[in-house]
Amino acid sequence: MACPIANLAFLALAVLLIPGAAHAQNCPTRGSWPTQAWPDNTAETTAAKAAQIQALEDYAFSRIGKDAERKGIRTDAVVVIHRGAIVYEKYFGSHGPTKRHIGWSVTKSVTSALTGMAVHRGAVSLEDSICDHLEVGTPESCQVKLKHLLQFSSGFDWTELYEDKSNQASSVLAMLYGEGRRDMARFVAEHRLRDAPGTTYMYSTGESMLLLSAVQESVQKTLQKGDVFPWEWLFTPIGMTSAVLERDAKGHFKGGSHTFATPRDFARFGFLYLNDGCWEGQRLLPEGWVAASTRVSEPFKLRALAAEPGDAQGRMWWLNQAVPEQGFNDLPWPDVPSDAYAARGHWGQSVTVIPSLDTVVVRVADDREAGAFDLNQFLSLALALVR
Amino acid sequence: MKTSIAAMVLAASVFLAGCADRDGEARSYANSDLQLTSNYAAAEVCSCMFVMEQEEDFCRAWTRANPAVATFRVDREKKRVEASAGMLWGATARFVDERTGCVLE
Repeated sequence: MACPIANLAFLALAVLLIPGAAHAQNCPTRGSWPTQAWPDNTAETTAAKAAQIQALEDYAFSRIGKDAERKGIRTDAVVVIHRGAIVYEKYFGSHGPTKRHIGWSVTKSVTSALTGMAVHRGAVSLEDSICDHLEVGTPESCQVKLKHLLQFSSGFDWTELYEDKSNQASSVLAMLYGEGRRDMARFVAEHRLRDAPGTTYMYSTGESMLLLSAVQESVQKTLQKGDVFPWEWLFTPIGMTSAVLERDAKGHFKGGSHTFATPRDFARFGFLYLNDGCWEGQRLLPEGWVAASTRVSEPFKLRALAAEPGDAQGRMWWLNQAVPEQGFNDLPWPDVPSDAYAARGHWGQSVTVIPSLDTVVVRVADDREAGAFDLNQFLSLALALVR
Repeated sequence: MKTSIAAMVLAASVFLAGCADRDGEARSYANSDLQLTSNYAAAEVCSCMFVMEQEEDFCRAWTRANPAVATFRVDREKKRVEASAGMLWGATARFVDERTGCVLE
């Protein structure tokens, strides 16, 4: 004979235990998710915000000088997402909605996300030493834990310089194109320690590279998914189907530098963070991961090396927060809400998330002239479309 | 005499090398400009053409390096880019697949 009360209890228990049950995971709800396509509200913006669009395009899309000289602000594309729909997008020249663009250091924030997903699945702990997963460390470098890398606080004696500076002093160029290129994780981990791990912050492409390599090795050993986990856990669930994550000759993902995707797909990555690491009611990042990633890190507060006023870092995300401990008393982007944060890359790439405005702003670019582009000015003009 | 000068130079360089290590002076890499630019050109032209799917002229301008000493050759069929700089330095990058993009060999 049926027992309704027991059945109800069983049903309630089953709901609680279903993986991905939205209520159990504290995930935000949305009317729709852009897994297949972004809803298009650009016509409404064009009609209602003509003057604001003009001001944005005058700033972002007016190229100057001869193309070969590559002067000034060189925006390749802008996509603005508001309330889950595209409200503005524009492409320059041969760029377009189906063309991938290099993300450069936007990749670091992708590495931060993939690390969170590996923690979520128990493949790694942030307390793990790099030597728990990689056979590349010196005894000294085995003091470096994944949490240190996630906060750019390994203490490795690293010099973050790019092209047109000193080629010989640049650790980044040596890693990507010089003596380190065949086995980049090993190259990074063989640097001596400048400071004890966790005591100083210094932005480093090497640390993101090493972090994702350690995660990749562990995911391979524990789950046999070392080659596919970025797609299986992140890119495919959020519909970021254009994503390319390149590798070194050793087979390790270049976790500090070489993600490529369409601007619309970079916006999907931002949208995942806008929704606290949830997608379609499923929690892809551990609860609290986004919050922890967008707080100024302790090493940054302790001692931020090679940082300038206007810099603020969480876990491989740039933050719009003052850091009084470092004497950085102003917001990095004063005309932008203080809850904003961004994945940023060389040549002006950015994926900016502004939770209080329910907005993501993507810009891909080819800025080669130092100081020509101002992210605060750009964002304030872009946000005028949604305010 | 010559031998002793050579020995002194050697001793001094060993001493200085050790000194730099202990005092934490900025490390310098054996980053030959020819090696860097040929590897950079091979890797980034390959990604520009086969991942970003841009034209060769675009990719030449996109990857202009300083010093601009590298030249490159694209094999569209095999999706390979060979770059060279000077007489000795050469590099090859090849497109692997739609997820992996290009790998510098």
